[in-house]
Amino acid sequence: MPGADKETELSERIEAFLSELKRCGSGAGSLRGSAETARETTSLLRRITAQARWSNAGDLMEIIRKEGRRMTAGQPSETTVGNMVRRVLKIIREEYARSRGSTEEADQQESLHKLLTSGGSSEDNFRQHFTHLKANVIEAINELLTELEGTTDNISMQALEHIHSNEVIMTIGRSRTVEAFLKDAARKRKFHVIVAECAPFCQGHEMATSLSKEDIETTVIPDAAIFAVMSRVNKVIIGTQTVLANGGLRAVNGTHTLALAAKHHSTPLIVCAPMFKLSPQFPNEEDTFHKFVSPHEVLPFTEGEILSKVNAHCPVFDYVPPELITLFISNIGGNAPSYIYRLMSELYHPEDHEL
Amino acid sequence: MRFCSSPAGGGKHNSGLPVNTENEEEEEDKLVEYFRAQIRGDPDVASAVAAIRSLLEFLRRDQSETILGLRENMTQAIRRLEETDSSVAVSSGGELFLRFISLTSLEHPVRQHCTQSSCSARAQPSIASLLADLSQCKNVMIERGELFLKKISLSRGKVGKLCHTFIKDGAKILTHSSSRVVLKVLENAAADNKRFTVYVTESQPDSAGKRMAQKLRKLNIPVMVVLDAAVGYIMEKVDLVIVGAEGVVESGGVINKIGTYQMAVCSKAHNKPFYVVAESFKFVRLYPLNQQDVPDRFKYTADILKTVKDLNQEHPMIDYTPPSLITLLFTDLGVLTPSAVSDELIKLYL
Repeated sequence: MPGADKETELSERIEAFLSELKRCGSGAGSLRGSAETARETTSLLRRITAQARWSNAGDLMEIIRKEGRRMTAGQPSETTVGNMVRRVLKIIREEYARSRGSTEEADQQESLHKLLTSGGSSEDNFRQHFTHLKANVIEAINELLTELEGTTDNISMQALEHIHSNEVIMTIGRSRTVEAFLKDAARKRKFHVIVAECAPFCQGHEMATSLSKEDIETTVIPDAAIFAVMSRVNKVIIGTQTVLANGGLRAVNGTHTLALAAKHHSTPLIVCAPMFKLSPQFPNEEDTFHKFVSPHEVLPFTEGEILSKVNAHCPVFDYVPPELITLFISNIGGNAPSYIYRLMSELYHPEDHEL
Repeated sequence: MRFCSSPAGGGKHNSGLPVNTENEEEEEDKLVEYFRAQIRGDPDVASAVAAIRSLLEFLRRDQSETILGLRENMTQAIRRLEETDSSVAVSSGGELFLRFISLTSLEHPVRQHCTQSSCSARAQPSIASLLADLSQCKNVMIERGELFLKKISLSRGKVGKLCHTFIKDGAKILTHSSSRVVLKVLENAAADNKRFTVYVTESQPDSAGKRMAQKLRKLNIPVMVVLDAAVGYIMEKVDLVIVGAEGVVESGGVINKIGTYQMAVCSKAHNKPFYVVAESFKFVRLYPLNQQDVPDRFKYTADILKTVKDLNQEHPMIDYTPPSLITLLFTDLGVLTPSAVSDELIKLYL
């Protein structure tokens, strides 16, 4: 039966994606960038919308929520997956509201205004059937995919406004977004980049090699030298793994040190992060916030004698509070950290914060 | 005997302060009695909720023939309530109710002569001369009012549910004075089988902290009462600070029992998170820039305002904590950063 074949094919793909996620997460950093993860998640969700069996928006949202939960459970630190699921859920809600003809798109959020004016029948269980809903949702997801493809370019286009000639820029580790950002600015300006190597995985080395291929003057420094060199730096530009709901960051370890040093010297800290990295989580969940990997990079197994007497940890992420950040540059422009709540309310619906 | 409250009659002075007819006085006394009965009957109810409930009752009994008359009676009633209980919460509840009436009356403009006033959304002041049949509009108001009341009675529960996930196992919490919302949050956290200790400041001059400690002991939560002066001393031991609020102002700051500002400054110095829990009906349209900017009518209790001549000799009961010292606000509208508060207020009032 063709229906059953499609379903098994669909579940196979989902399983493949899940195992890919689980495998990647155990490596040093991520073997694939967040942008690819976002794109693959969105394509998978589009496939689910097209092939799964559902008759109304409520069913579709249930299916997507269920799959979303499985996917985020596979790799909790990869928040992009959850973010894309939430984006798609919001798309479904919007398309449903549009099909119903109601113009209260702006009233989706809870607000004092809504409390006062609602007439009581605001409980919408999305059970109405619309024939064109499937096509509309798939079209909207396609638009989302196009947006995802253009994020790095959109961010790099803003580079010339922020980087000036003869400036010294500091960065840490390797971020593809920052790399593209700096390379774009290097086409028209001459500046100097200092890269902190970001032990123990030392991705800073790859970043430096890649930048120097584009004729950008690069210097690699060890993490301990960050504070010492900071007085000569004009700007700090970093990437991040996730942007949290309070405007803080979950970035590669060493970033908090960098941010504190920048604050001390009153150097602006600019974060280049595309919108799909914005997550509605707060930094309170300690059990899911951190990820630890094998400490053999920190303390190799050859040091067998002291291993029994010493505890070695190798955390992957760092929390940077919003007070240390000056500007967020995303594909929709530059924003202050205090504005993050607004961007979040435009991207996600409050009921989807908990999948 | 119906009293006429149309603009033509009623004996209103030009200064804007109406001369009350006997009936109006009676109505207002009944209102105050109703309000007091609400508070007595359910000591756990938020004062703003009790105020709104009383105002809804007043709306039911009101006999005015025009929207303007209704608004004027309402404003007078709210002023009367504020004289009884001068807390910020009652004031914000009253203002919210007035706004509710304006919004509802705009949505259901009954037969009117001036079509202009209904079309523009900012027609608030010109609702004036609608000499139309009110009863349909009033029915909608009463219905919506009941719904609104039901929703806001649930807000405390919502806040409790949101906030308790931020309390980790083994946490040491510092709180100030007695707040029913904070109590609910701690109750939820305890029900979630989390282990934590609470330090409560005594909070003079009314020793409200001791009442809070008693309530917490009943919930089997280990609690210790500390002196107000010991906040700096105890701050290094605690992991987070949670306080309630009497009012949340437009800047995202809060107005709360005296001693809150001190606690906020201390927690900033020690880098401890300072959380505020408040329901959304406490959002008030004030923008104080410093402690002096907070109006006197909130700072002192209603009795003192009526009896004492020189307020400079009195101790204020509340203070203002600026938004830069607050980490997060937990409301029934969600977890907000202080900058998000003004957004909410703008959505409502403009």
